[in-house]
Amino acid sequence: MRPALLNTGLAVLALGLFVLSLLVGPADLRFDESILGLFAAAQYHGEGAGIIMREIRLPRALLGLGIGISLGLSGAVLQGFLRNPLAEPGIIGVSATAALGAVAVFYSGLAGSSLYALPAGALIGALTAVLILLAIAARQGSTLTLILAGVALSSLAGALTSLVLNLSPNPFAAYEIIFWLLGSLKDRSMEHVALALPLMALGWLLIALSARAIDALSLGEEAAASLGIHMGRARFLIVAGVALSVGAATAVAGTIGFIGLVVPHLIRPLTDRLPSSLLLPAALGGAALLLAADSAARLVLPAGELNVGVLTALIGAPFFLWLVMRVRREML
Amino acid sequence: MSTRGRKRILSLFGLVLLAGALLAAPAPAAPKRVMPLPNAPMRVMSLNVCTDQLAMALAAPGQLVSVSFLAREPSLSMLHEEAKEYLANRGLAEEVFLQKPDLVVTGTYSLHNTSALLKRLGFAVEEFSFVQTLDTIPGEIRRMGSLLGRQDRAEEIATRFAAELADIKRRQCDRRPSAIAYDQNGVALGRGTLADSVLEAAGFRNLAADLGVVGMTPFPLEQIVVQRPDVIITGKPAGAPTLGAQVPRHPAIAALPGTRIGAFVPEGSWSCGAPSVIEAVRALARLRAEIAPCPAPDHNSSERDAGEKPLRAFPHPALGAPR
Repeated sequence: MRPALLNTGLAVLALGLFVLSLLVGPADLRFDESILGLFAAAQYHGEGAGIIMREIRLPRALLGLGIGISLGLSGAVLQGFLRNPLAEPGIIGVSATAALGAVAVFYSGLAGSSLYALPAGALIGALTAVLILLAIAARQGSTLTLILAGVALSSLAGALTSLVLNLSPNPFAAYEIIFWLLGSLKDRSMEHVALALPLMALGWLLIALSARAIDALSLGEEAAASLGIHMGRARFLIVAGVALSVGAATAVAGTIGFIGLVVPHLIRPLTDRLPSSLLLPAALGGAALLLAADSAARLVLPAGELNVGVLTALIGAPFFLWLVMRVRREML
Repeated sequence: MSTRGRKRILSLFGLVLLAGALLAAPAPAAPKRVMPLPNAPMRVMSLNVCTDQLAMALAAPGQLVSVSFLAREPSLSMLHEEAKEYLANRGLAEEVFLQKPDLVVTGTYSLHNTSALLKRLGFAVEEFSFVQTLDTIPGEIRRMGSLLGRQDRAEEIATRFAAELADIKRRQCDRRPSAIAYDQNGVALGRGTLADSVLEAAGFRNLAADLGVVGMTPFPLEQIVVQRPDVIITGKPAGAPTLGAQVPRHPAIAALPGTRIGAFVPEGSWSCGAPSVIEAVRALARLRAEIAPCPAPDHNSSERDAGEKPLRAFPHPALGAPR
């Protein structure tokens, strides 16, 4: 498929799901009320529809868009860079470690109850995880070693997250284990958008700058070096880009898995299979998938609301299993 | 040392203790050892934050040996200062076993397995229901009183509680502003909860109950914006931070004109069906009187005021006094 057509199609899909996300919610707003609430002038402020649209649904849809882009893009770049079809921020433990970082800094109360503690901790966590994984990948190139190391890192980070929350002197903290392990976009506000979106955007930029390097890398490291690719620079761009985008996403939404795995695989057959031409479509597809899952989470259990990570895992985990079987067959 | 030898030494040790107790008995009682009634338990242990409140209010000095660790939590326990004088427990059967209390009081809900185990081990366990309303409180106070052998004190507290409650209820009228108790993680307290009965007694309409919410249930933020209660009661963010504590502070709620948001009830006063709940009723009744004053008593004809007020029809305090 022609890249322009593919990207336009995915952009339209993501935009449509963005609008759907704005229209879904427990308050029965009519379509015209919603649009009016979103765009009407300042004197409309203070009206129910205006508050719901601007303070509740818009931040949620923006975060769905931004986090979806981050996860799709990170999945695509990690699969290309590590030359590993199973790589994904959730599976290799970057998301879980980011959540651990956020939890450790926020619930300790070191930064009062300031929300800035969340991205600060999450970025440190995500960076640590990416560096550990790169070190393992550099030593042992096998596909499965990296994935198994990621699984171990994920379990460890998940257990430590639960431990920190259980140790909090506030008895309500332990109830938030499910948020950190299964992610949610419920009741976010513009504060969260302001907190996460700039960091995620910076991460996208860094990943985009690495596009030429991951293409060259698909020919192997030596070939890439002979093409004039500076490996150190490429590594920095990808490590920092993934840590920024996944760290910021996890800081405000908890661990949302499998989006970075499913989307690149669904879209790759539609591209020319160069890692770099997968980046933009994977970002748009990630946004579309997360916005769809988040809208569904609100519709399945309208009052209580499902954690969106439950839905992405329901889609992603069977897919992962199928992929593992296929990768094994190819290796034999 | 042989088992028999150890046994003998232990029983000797027991004899010495017994002798000590007999010798001490005629002497004037130490300040911490006031006997309640004959046959009353001497070592009582409470495993639940709500039975803690009742036991601390009623027990004779020295009678209560341990309360739950949550009793020290200011957001859950109004008697959190007193609670520091007692040994804190985490509701574990082993802790009970070590303390060897002659009565264990706990909730029916939270520690069900522990209670079953303790009963099997032969401890006297008394369970108190988790679901309470204002009407059940005097009965609970009297029940705890008779379990502890402190009937007189219980009767006094229960009577005072009921009288004060009746007095506050008498002063309400048909002007009932809407309120919602909205806390951690956006959970609202609906019909059948203690908070619902407190709101009712203080002269409010509980928005959550009106919309059919029963018990503690997540309440969508968007619904709060649509319904615009006159008052939103949230807890004070306590101690260590949590994300759930930020939900009631969402900008969408802060943007509601004419809705009052705050703690309004003294911290920890209405988390348990205990005598301290009257503080919450009193505080909310004051708030109600402030935002929607009742007409003077002689004009309080129910015929005129009793017009049913649909949801949202109540004018906001910002717009002046209601009709």
